[in-house]
Amino acid sequence: MSDLTQSTTSESAVVSDGPLLEVKDLVMHYPKRSPGIFKRSVGTIHAVCGVSFNIDAGETLGLVGESGCGKTTTGRAILQLIKATSGSVVFRGRELVGADHAALTKVRREMQVIFQDPFGSLDPRMPVGETIAEPLRVHHLWTKSEGHRRVAEMMKLVGLEPRFANRFPNEFSGGQRQRIGIARALILEPKLLVLDEPVSALDVSIQAGVVNLLEDLQDRLGVAYLFIAHDLSVVRHLSDRVAVMYLGRIVEIGTQIEVYRRPQHPYTQALLSAVPIPDPRKERSRTHIVLQGDLPSPDNPPSGCRFRTRCWKAQEICGIETPELIERGGGHPVACHFPEVTEVV
Amino acid sequence: MTEPLLTIDDLQVSFASGEGDIQAVRGVSLSLFPHEVLGVVGESGSGKSVTALAVMGLLAKNAQITGSVHLEGHELLGLKERALAEFRGQSIAMIFQDPLTSLNPVYNVGWQIEEALNAHRDLSKEELHAETIRLLEMVGIPHAESRVNDYPHEFSGGMRQRVVIAIAMANNPGVILADEPTTALDVTVQAQVLDALKHVLENSGASLVLITHDLGVIAGLATRVAVMYAGRVVEIGSADDIFYRPAMPYTHGLLGSVPRVDDDGGGRLRQIPGAPPSMVGTKPGCPFAPRCPMRVEICTQVEPELRLVSLRGAAPPEHLAACHRADEAMAMPIGSMFSDSSADFEEPPTP
Repeated sequence: MSDLTQSTTSESAVVSDGPLLEVKDLVMHYPKRSPGIFKRSVGTIHAVCGVSFNIDAGETLGLVGESGCGKTTTGRAILQLIKATSGSVVFRGRELVGADHAALTKVRREMQVIFQDPFGSLDPRMPVGETIAEPLRVHHLWTKSEGHRRVAEMMKLVGLEPRFANRFPNEFSGGQRQRIGIARALILEPKLLVLDEPVSALDVSIQAGVVNLLEDLQDRLGVAYLFIAHDLSVVRHLSDRVAVMYLGRIVEIGTQIEVYRRPQHPYTQALLSAVPIPDPRKERSRTHIVLQGDLPSPDNPPSGCRFRTRCWKAQEICGIETPELIERGGGHPVACHFPEVTEVV
Repeated sequence: MTEPLLTIDDLQVSFASGEGDIQAVRGVSLSLFPHEVLGVVGESGSGKSVTALAVMGLLAKNAQITGSVHLEGHELLGLKERALAEFRGQSIAMIFQDPLTSLNPVYNVGWQIEEALNAHRDLSKEELHAETIRLLEMVGIPHAESRVNDYPHEFSGGMRQRVVIAIAMANNPGVILADEPTTALDVTVQAQVLDALKHVLENSGASLVLITHDLGVIAGLATRVAVMYAGRVVEIGSADDIFYRPAMPYTHGLLGSVPRVDDDGGGRLRQIPGAPPSMVGTKPGCPFAPRCPMRVEICTQVEPELRLVSLRGAAPPEHLAACHRADEAMAMPIGSMFSDSSADFEEPPTP
């Protein structure tokens, strides 16, 4: 494929007309281990079950859901940090699932990641300038003449003074550390940035600065974001399109406006109605959909629609037939046998 | 005006550390009235949790505490452990963030609720059992009868927090302190637990101090709101005063910095430049001055006291703010005070 040779330069043009990232039928099963020393396999945890979506160049797809819905696993499987059980991840025309180490190393220049914890993701004994420069060194792109200039440029870009390049992570605040992580991720000029809960460890006033920075960087660099988060307000603010996950499946996907204004899936409606709005008059007059029961265990998910055990609309068919994620007349794809547009926020 | 149930007066808490005393709480005065929910908001390190722990007498031994905490006519500060135990659970109870660490993993939940009941009441075995079931049902645990003998690990996070609420309510205390009770929970679970908490408050008539960083949770539950910054209350008033007529620039900044789920996302978030101050040693002036766009000379010299900013007739509650320019701040539209540009944003590294 000519794609491979072209993409070895970081300035390579878009190699195909298709989407930047194409995830198809992604499945991730883990063996469930027994406690104790033998760790026998006693079942299968269905973390991700047939997830499909696309991301176009320069856009932000928000992936939301609650703990255990598989959103982080999906992100990691896309980055090939874990090996998917089955399915396909095509990035700029190249299949990543099953690709060898050398091919993945090339791809990783164009696909970077930012994790939640700005304390755990920086080496405490490395000056921050070195941390930011590390991807250049790993990919043999570091040159004496250009390297320091690039680091200074990146630091300025994320709102940090380049003269602090010799300081250590412990001298920076949480928000600043997250900026350092962003500078490190962007120094290779990636086409896609996977952000896994990048602002949830930060206080709100600091979070706002990082959110604004992410918006500005996308405008300037044209990088696409896969924004994984549980905070539905932040996801709405940053995303062009949103996918809602429940127990390893996408239940609804569409533009931000469609999903938040005209949610069709009962779970999306319950999720959105549960988010408190910082406006006392509005918040007190809202009706909240309070879900009954707990999230079923992913090692024994319900048959058919996985939400049916907590759904107020569930019928017999919901337990028999898994609803596909398709357009059902509501304007955007939804995985529900009985979709109904209901305004909740 | 009705008498407050709980009055905190000029509470100061400091901890000895290698670099000098950390002044976690610097003169907090708050009153909690019957049948109200007082929301306390503030970011990490603003002193909101330390205030609650000081009230409960749960601070570590290296804490130096001055001031006064009055509960139902009794002074709590300086009481011996045994005397304090009379109040804890009986008149005042606390709910913590993490239900897994506040429950004992080796006893079933029924045992733990009975333990709380036994601490203050003299009930027969049958009465204990009936009361335990009643409490579990009150917080919305389904099939309470069959779940009393289950252990904490057999419950989900939301169900555990309900058990913790049941324990807090065991002796029908008049005052409940909840420190980030739903922060560790997913949003649909948070909605369930807040629902249970509202139900419990309506049933028991207890008053609640709700400590959280989530302005949405405060908006839904609190009747009055106190905003804390750098160990002090910097603004206090009715929920409407704080959300619609903030008079302290920090409150303006907080309100402008949160994205809203009902907002189409076209606008920009407002950001507060810089970082909260170090709590070691005393510096003159308003602690928010270095980050404040309304800063004038006096702000760096004199720390403003909480003072009345508006009096709509004699109707309580009062609206107080600690700002030299509170009246001007109150006149400004929310979101107009702080910048939304990430370009002119440069924090100095903390030394």
